[in-house]
Amino acid sequence: MTEFPCGYGDDRDEAIVAWLYDDVDGSPAERARFETHLQTCARCREDVAALRGVRAQLARWSPPEPSFAVGSRSSDVGSQPSAVGSQPSAVGSQPSAVSRQPSSVTNPQSAIRNPQWWSAVPAWAQVAAALLFLGFSAGVANFDVRYDKNGLSIRTGWSKTPALDVAQTQLTSAAQSQRMGVAQGSSPADQNAPWRADLAALERQLETEFRATQASAMAAPVRTVAPAPATDADVTRRVRVLVEDSEKRQQRELALRIAGLLRDVNAQRQADLVKIDRTLGVVQNNVGIEVMKNRQQINQMDLLYRASQRQ
Amino acid sequence: MTWTDEELVAKSISGDADSFNQLVLRWERPIYALAYRTIGREEDARDVCQETFLRAFRALPGFRGQAKFSSWLYRIALNLCRDWIRRERRAPVVQPPEDVDLIELAAAAEPSESIEDLVARKDLMRLVENAMALLPEEQRTAIVLKEYHGLTFQEIAELVGCPLSTVKTRLYQGLIVLRRELSKNSKATR
Repeated sequence: MTEFPCGYGDDRDEAIVAWLYDDVDGSPAERARFETHLQTCARCREDVAALRGVRAQLARWSPPEPSFAVGSRSSDVGSQPSAVGSQPSAVGSQPSAVSRQPSSVTNPQSAIRNPQWWSAVPAWAQVAAALLFLGFSAGVANFDVRYDKNGLSIRTGWSKTPALDVAQTQLTSAAQSQRMGVAQGSSPADQNAPWRADLAALERQLETEFRATQASAMAAPVRTVAPAPATDADVTRRVRVLVEDSEKRQQRELALRIAGLLRDVNAQRQADLVKIDRTLGVVQNNVGIEVMKNRQQINQMDLLYRASQRQ
Repeated sequence: MTWTDEELVAKSISGDADSFNQLVLRWERPIYALAYRTIGREEDARDVCQETFLRAFRALPGFRGQAKFSSWLYRIALNLCRDWIRRERRAPVVQPPEDVDLIELAAAAEPSESIEDLVARKDLMRLVENAMALLPEEQRTAIVLKEYHGLTFQEIAELVGCPLSTVKTRLYQGLIVLRRELSKNSKATR
């Protein structure tokens, strides 16, 4: 980096930042002053350009997608509500993350693009709505469910074949005659039809149950309705999800701790190795000095010995 | 119908629980992003986000509208982030997800994005994360609030409780550190 002298003054840093974000709270004269200065100061120009580059890189940093129930799936920069409505407009070629936001950002409501409103509706209400919808659909589709000697048959649609109408008429008249207890010349095949016995059994069962219900309702006081058992399964599922989340979180935390521990151990190991190396160097040095001293003493003794031999 | 924050706050104070839910839906993403960029950990950022709304809900009857609701919310979140950093007694560490592999990354990517682009983008994000983690808390906060939340210098000054010039200086110093770190890292990765 080349260092050029800059004579702007003490508030140079503040002026650069204000210029960079186009957030000049002072007078327009102040801005004009810095603008003029920029034309003549290579150092400030270089700084502004470099910091614009930094901002461009910063703009690419987005946090990981959170898992809470938010409708918006885009990155937060693009969809978050702006805390300020007075954000300056895009200026020149400034790579401002804010200035690149769409105009809808000034409206915080744009953050909720697809709110999951249905998640707030109780489960029983959702089930009731589903049943209602199914019933309505069945009505519209004109469902025709039959059980005869040919087995169970389901038909939809408004058009009916003549044969079907005849069969339906026979079925209705047979049921009526049986209910009234009057045999009106029905054929033996009709009387032996499998649905007749089933129908009679079903009628009997319904009558018994209806009477039992009436009796118990009269005997017992009115009680509040217990919560739907379906919520238990729901709660279990939620708890399971929570437990799984917790496990994942603990695993990550553990991995992080282990990584930190390994890093610490490695750092300590490096430090110990350096220390050992240094200590070994000192020891070797001391040993070398001792060896040299011993050699000198041996030499001196040798000299003394030779001198004494000569005498 | 679109309600303003202040209207939703008023309705919520008068007992309309759904209004507060709308406020949560509106602001949970920005608050989470603020927390993540300040403390750098996804799980903790989510906890901070939840705690922010919990505290806001409890304190809502005392909210008199002296400041904007968003500023009030930001202040709660920043205080919680500060508590977190103090509690951890260390500089925030932006953890690179160690268990993320290329297949997973590719699945999360835009269909038009190649693996090379994706990796380059992730690398750049990691560089920025690591560089941000080196900043002192006050510089990081100033940058996050200005760069990603679009607050004015004046709003930041009121939020963090310091003079306007201090905010600008912190921002400048933070950007200078980032410039140095990013250029150093990009040279190293070349």
